Amino acid sequence: MGNHVHQPDFGTGEKSLGIYSFGILLCVVLTLIPFWAVMHGTFSRGETLVVIFISALLQFLVQVVCFLRLNYSTEQSKMNVLSFYLAILILFVIVGGSLWIMWSLRYNMMH
Amino acid sequence: MSSVAVAHHEHHHDTDSIDVFGFWLYILTDCILFASLFATYVVLHHPGAYGPDLKEHISLNYVLVETFALLASNFTFGLAIISMKKNKVQMPLFWLVLTFIFGAIFVGMEVTEFVNLIEEGYSYTTSGAASAFFTLVGTHGLHVSFGLLWILTMIIQIPMFGINQTIKRRMVYLGLFWNFLDIVWIFLFSIVYLMGAM
Repeated sequence: MGNHVHQPDFGTGEKSLGIYSFGILLCVVLTLIPFWAVMHGTFSRGETLVVIFISALLQFLVQVVCFLRLNYSTEQSKMNVLSFYLAILILFVIVGGSLWIMWSLRYNMMH
Repeated sequence: MSSVAVAHHEHHHDTDSIDVFGFWLYILTDCILFASLFATYVVLHHPGAYGPDLKEHISLNYVLVETFALLASNFTFGLAIISMKKNKVQMPLFWLVLTFIFGAIFVGMEVTEFVNLIEEGYSYTTSGAASAFFTLVGTHGLHVSFGLLWILTMIIQIPMFGINQTIKRRMVYLGLFWNFLDIVWIFLFSIVYLMGAM
């Protein structure tokens, strides 16, 4: 995209009204879908869980791409994205690890 | 090699980028804090956990309004950042005030919810699960409250200093922080409220 106006973005990516409006629209839809699924209860429990998680994951991606504007365009923004991946990895170890341990504990105490 | 020449040429912007990177690292460590609280919450909310069920105490309509208030404040903050390109004070100020109002609605609703929950007997001392709920949602609310204080600071600083490089950098920090809080809220309403109400 032609970026002639010099606007320092500090490695966070160029912000524009078009991308923001597109992002907010998607976020509203991705918020309404899981709330609707739970409030009306047309799906089974498992299906509702899938709807909640997919919507949350998609909205997370929309916010990261459209609002945070993480990208690979400069050396700095690459560092931002790499450290972001590291944080997600740590996050998975903490949450996933806790659940794994507690589930095993519960399983071994019940059986 | 060539990046050295670029770094020298845009020295000022470059140090700003490194500052922002430092703030970004803080945000990521904050993510880890929230991850620990989420892990605690999920572990303590296993089926058949001791204490009253959160399900009977939450209203999804109420949470939906809260969610939209936070989302709207996130959007108006983006508009504030975009309107700063014109280097005029009025529009960024207008959007910041709107951001503050939406953020304040969110915090106000959350505090009201907490007060109601405690009155209904779902207090932070009721059970381990309830403690985890109040800690997780409360930590997020506290972050939003500090964000509000920061927005107020910017509302005072922008008319004082005008739109300059420093103000722009501070707004980038605040933008990262404010956006991060909305991202945490996605997982909060999904895991705590939606899954809690199922």
